[in-house]
Amino acid sequence: MPLLEFSREGDAATSLIRLVNVTKKFGDINALDHINLSIDDGEYLCILGQTGAGKTTLLRIIAGLLEPDEGEIYIDGKVVNGIPPEKRNAVYMFQQFALFPHMDVWRNVSFGPVIQDWDEDRIKNVTFEILEMVRLAERRDAFPNELSGGMQQRVALARGIASGARILLLDEPLGALDARLRVDLRTQLRKLVKDQGLTAVHVTHDQEESLMIADRVVVLRNGRIEQIGTPHEVYSKPQSIFVTSFVGGASFIEGTVAKVDDSGSIIEIRGGLRTCVSDRSKKNGEKVVIAIRLEDVSVGTTSKDGANNFPGVVETAMFIGGSIEYEVRLENDVLASSRILLSDAFRAYKAGERVVISFHPENCYLFSYPKVGLLKEIEAI
Amino acid sequence: MVQRSKSFTSFPKLVVWIILIVFIFFVLLPTFYLISYVFLRWEEVQVEVFANPIIGDENWRQILKVLFFSFRLSLLTVAFDLLFGVPLAYVLARKRFPGKSLLEDFATLPLVIPTSGFGFATLITWTTVAGIGGFLGLRSGLVTLNATVPLINVPFVLFIVHITLTLPYVVRTLETKFQSIDTTFETASRTLGASSLTTFRNILFPLAIPGVFSGAVLAFARSLGETGATLIVSGVSSTASIAIVRWTSEFKLATASFMGSLLVVIAWVIILPLELYLGRRGSSFKISYQLPTSLSNKLMKLEKFVSRSLPRIKDFAPLTIIALTVVVPIVVVLNSVVLYWSVDPYTGKVQGGVVYQLFGPSNYFSSLLQATLTSIIVALTATYIAMCIAIPLAFIIERRRYGDFIRTLLKVPLIIPTSSLGLSVLLLWGSSGFNLVGSGIWLIILTHIVFSVPVIVESIIAAYEGSDIQMYEDSARTLGATAYNAIEKVSLPLIKGGILTGFILSFTRSLGETGATFIVMGRDITVPALVVNMVEALAIPAALFTSTYLIILSLGLLAIIRILTRR
Repeated sequence: MPLLEFSREGDAATSLIRLVNVTKKFGDINALDHINLSIDDGEYLCILGQTGAGKTTLLRIIAGLLEPDEGEIYIDGKVVNGIPPEKRNAVYMFQQFALFPHMDVWRNVSFGPVIQDWDEDRIKNVTFEILEMVRLAERRDAFPNELSGGMQQRVALARGIASGARILLLDEPLGALDARLRVDLRTQLRKLVKDQGLTAVHVTHDQEESLMIADRVVVLRNGRIEQIGTPHEVYSKPQSIFVTSFVGGASFIEGTVAKVDDSGSIIEIRGGLRTCVSDRSKKNGEKVVIAIRLEDVSVGTTSKDGANNFPGVVETAMFIGGSIEYEVRLENDVLASSRILLSDAFRAYKAGERVVISFHPENCYLFSYPKVGLLKEIEAI
Repeated sequence: MVQRSKSFTSFPKLVVWIILIVFIFFVLLPTFYLISYVFLRWEEVQVEVFANPIIGDENWRQILKVLFFSFRLSLLTVAFDLLFGVPLAYVLARKRFPGKSLLEDFATLPLVIPTSGFGFATLITWTTVAGIGGFLGLRSGLVTLNATVPLINVPFVLFIVHITLTLPYVVRTLETKFQSIDTTFETASRTLGASSLTTFRNILFPLAIPGVFSGAVLAFARSLGETGATLIVSGVSSTASIAIVRWTSEFKLATASFMGSLLVVIAWVIILPLELYLGRRGSSFKISYQLPTSLSNKLMKLEKFVSRSLPRIKDFAPLTIIALTVVVPIVVVLNSVVLYWSVDPYTGKVQGGVVYQLFGPSNYFSSLLQATLTSIIVALTATYIAMCIAIPLAFIIERRRYGDFIRTLLKVPLIIPTSSLGLSVLLLWGSSGFNLVGSGIWLIILTHIVFSVPVIVESIIAAYEGSDIQMYEDSARTLGATAYNAIEKVSLPLIKGGILTGFILSFTRSLGETGATFIVMGRDITVPALVVNMVEALAIPAALFTSTYLIILSLGLLAIIRILTRR
């Protein structure tokens, strides 16, 4: 026990928010199932998951808008269970921004300071400074419905920062904006949080957004944490079929381990074909799934040395801006996908053309075959 | 979607308990006391109603007779309401035309207009020479008071009054329902080749059936409980609700309360299944009916023809009804006041003029002033107290799991017959109950609180659910506001419109209420009750003036509502 206590203490010293065994049920549904998570001071954390994964529940529990059924939440090393939201120093930003419609920009932004009874000069200074920062000082008299979506988002951010909170809880903060603006604002949002020295917990279902903006990404699924890591880790070392598929996507091929040796494993896939992968973690005879990222599969007319080569026929060829995506039907009827940058493309292939796809053993991820079946495991994505 | 946060933070338990106790004492108990009264004094009731030593079960037979008459009247009223109300609601929900908002006002006017004043206006419109009869050049009214409608055998004027007063319930409920249905269904149907009538029959109407049901039930309950106007136009016939008034004034309390509790139970039985089936949030209610193909084809051809060649009929028929039942009586009553101002224009007698009756020996003017004062004090006090209960209650309804249950309970005071309500309050607070308050102004206030609370709660809830209050409040909380601050600075300002509307609706209703007031008022007469007294004393010109006065007052209040809700 003392050792454990010690390590907890050590944790508390660096982590601003810590969740221990947090569980929340709505009726029979486990919205959150024993979540353990530490968030460092000044960190930008993304919680990535599909609709219904429990992201918003997690955020509301940190904010104090919901109480967990089990488990503790620590903020700054202190248990905050039962502490009302206004005393948690964490501001919740809704997807719809929740700007008070009956107040103008100035009164919205100064809401936190006014309600916390700061002295008047300080309220004025802080509000003005923050409005300047988000470049909205000249719109201070406008009402929320007179502002564009992007401006509303900036007011909501300004309001959160002005309240003096150290923690920003962002629930799909870019979700209500149109696609172009959403991409532009990602970097601005991150810069603002970092410049102000805040800690942000950002909930999103957009994997690209989370990879681009976060220091660390938490992949949440059915109320459980599937993987935690830096964006790079989550992308290049996915720990499950779900993460591979949800973050980045891949071709999945079912097979059975036929042989394991020093150089890797040989997997037998449908039609008796054999594939080499470097991963040696699975046992002989085990049913497995191979996953290969689209960009790791090349399409050509000849085989490559040292790679797995399979002939097949191009089924679809899709031009998507800077790259081309192919779906190739292999001779054993397996469908494999490939993404090739236009600049790397030797030539473009048309549907119906005979090609050879190649991928290297070290680019293959190997997973045990899921109990629910492969399709079921990835279908909802 | 409103998330019902079982919010541990926002309401201290003590406050919730106090509000609920006040709610039980001032709203729930008065509503249901009548039933328990009948149980408590069952022996007395049995003797008086079923086994009277002198007249036997004559009272019971009387009860049955009026009940059957009331049911027949109410069912027929609802049938006609639907006939006119469905097209009218469709026109209001889907068409745009100049004067639409005026039509909407006229269609909902009977909801706010004091019923006794309105009943009187209808009475003189149809039965006197000052009304339509005179306009058509007759020397008498168009019909007599006790003339019945052929085939269905109900008194004509009574029938007209009931249709007018209940039509708004059907129209308003259905209009809201139609508006909530996406127009793309209709567009799809039209582009697939269906005429507008076929589309209405096959698409819009089936989708709106829950609205038809709830509108019809509200109208039925309203008709069953209507007292104010009925007292004036009933003539020789007697409905259940005015029988209660009569028996109470004859001190046949046991008979009256037995009848009253029957009506409460009936209202309760009607509203409960409806609330359970239709009121459930997010429940989908589907009814589909299938006609034989040959019939359906013929019908579609007919509808195509009608849609193309007679598009105006469906628009104009309801307009005519509204004009005849709402606008004409108001015009007639205004016109008559002018005609009768100094002398009776037909006999030339000064005694038949408004001025003489108001300022002459009977001095109705001073009674009117006194009644106005009573009415305003009652309306202000009752509405104020009701607001104090209703605002926190609306928050409780929105935030607690049992909120839906409370909301259902709140429907009951709105639909039980007002005379039953009056009797119930009289028995509860008076000598046979707590023995705290006797007949008079305080008892009127206590009665009006009962139906004011639901009126205010409903309009607050409408405003509450119209904007995502929970989100704004959560936002305020995480910005550092305490639960109390968040309600004061964010939620209350956001639902201000709903509170104001509720205030005025409740004030108007209190000002116009007749049935319950008549039973509990004792010597403190309100204006609508004064109209009834004047009619009974045959002081027609004075009644004319008082009705006009009431109608103008409520029109003014209606105008204020319009201005408030338009923003």
